[in-house]
Amino acid sequence: MANHSASHPAHVQHHFVDSDQQFESAKMGMWVFLVNEILFFGGLFCAYIVFRAWYPELFTQAALELNKLWGGVNTIVLIGSSLTVAMAIRSAQKNQIKGLRINLLITIALACVFMVIKYFEYEHKLHLGIAPGSFWNPTPEILEELSHPKANIFFGIYYMMTGVHGLHVLVGIGLMIWLYIRAGKGHFSSEYYTPVEITGLYWHLVDLIWIFLFPLLYLIE
Amino acid sequence: MSEHNHEHHVATAKQLWLIGGGLFVLTILTVVVSNLGLPSPFDIISALVIAFGKAYLVAAFFMGLYWDTKFNSLLLIGALVFFILMVTVTLLDTMYRQDVVPSF
Repeated sequence: MANHSASHPAHVQHHFVDSDQQFESAKMGMWVFLVNEILFFGGLFCAYIVFRAWYPELFTQAALELNKLWGGVNTIVLIGSSLTVAMAIRSAQKNQIKGLRINLLITIALACVFMVIKYFEYEHKLHLGIAPGSFWNPTPEILEELSHPKANIFFGIYYMMTGVHGLHVLVGIGLMIWLYIRAGKGHFSSEYYTPVEITGLYWHLVDLIWIFLFPLLYLIE
Repeated sequence: MSEHNHEHHVATAKQLWLIGGGLFVLTILTVVVSNLGLPSPFDIISALVIAFGKAYLVAAFFMGLYWDTKFNSLLLIGALVFFILMVTVTLLDTMYRQDVVPSF
């Protein structure tokens, strides 16, 4: 850092007054993006609410096809990954780059566990013909348990909400790998860890969405 | 906002583990409560109360809103207000139709 004065470190772009202002601006920008994300998922939650109000008995019946155990395990996995992201940010704040990288790796691993479980859930359902919308083609046994004429609509909502959420998890995995590589190149320190902080915010939001999806889809009695 | 270069809040490892533990306990709780077979609408209400409790823990402590500038909390609350507005206006339509659109 010899070439840069203390008042204007290398990571501060020229249009910011100081490192703090740059950090706060980036964080606020991320929150504005998260507002957009909440309203994006909000449209799907809105569809959920409308159809649950129209056909409450459909939701009770169809939720029996979802596996509470694996949904619960995935909830624990995502909460664990949120904890490790929070620990990763803490490591960066304390200038512990090794701890940052280890926590990022654990987060990536947990996110992959989530996606693998999700894959097997989808695989199992699609095998039984439990597909969304016009692809609805269940086996006779399933049709007996799930005779509701709008059952395909429930699974349209289920696949759309969990699918878009799963896409967010995949994007999150990509971002964590990017952070891991940059941390390895020595880009982050307690002075500059903005990308870690705002990726953390994104990841926590993905966790937040799942906190609502789990009881609303899997835990209907 | 006193001096420039004020320190960022660093949560202690113990705090983070406590929040993680709390989220874990609440996840177990929501599964247990769903198995009680509460009559409607108390099943939905209990599930949502627990979910919002978990959401508060994540937003306040993992996302750091508790220590952060109030403006970021305002953004989150604003998103929820507009979400409620969207749902309310939609339900004002869908709940008062003579006939549900057949293909829906």
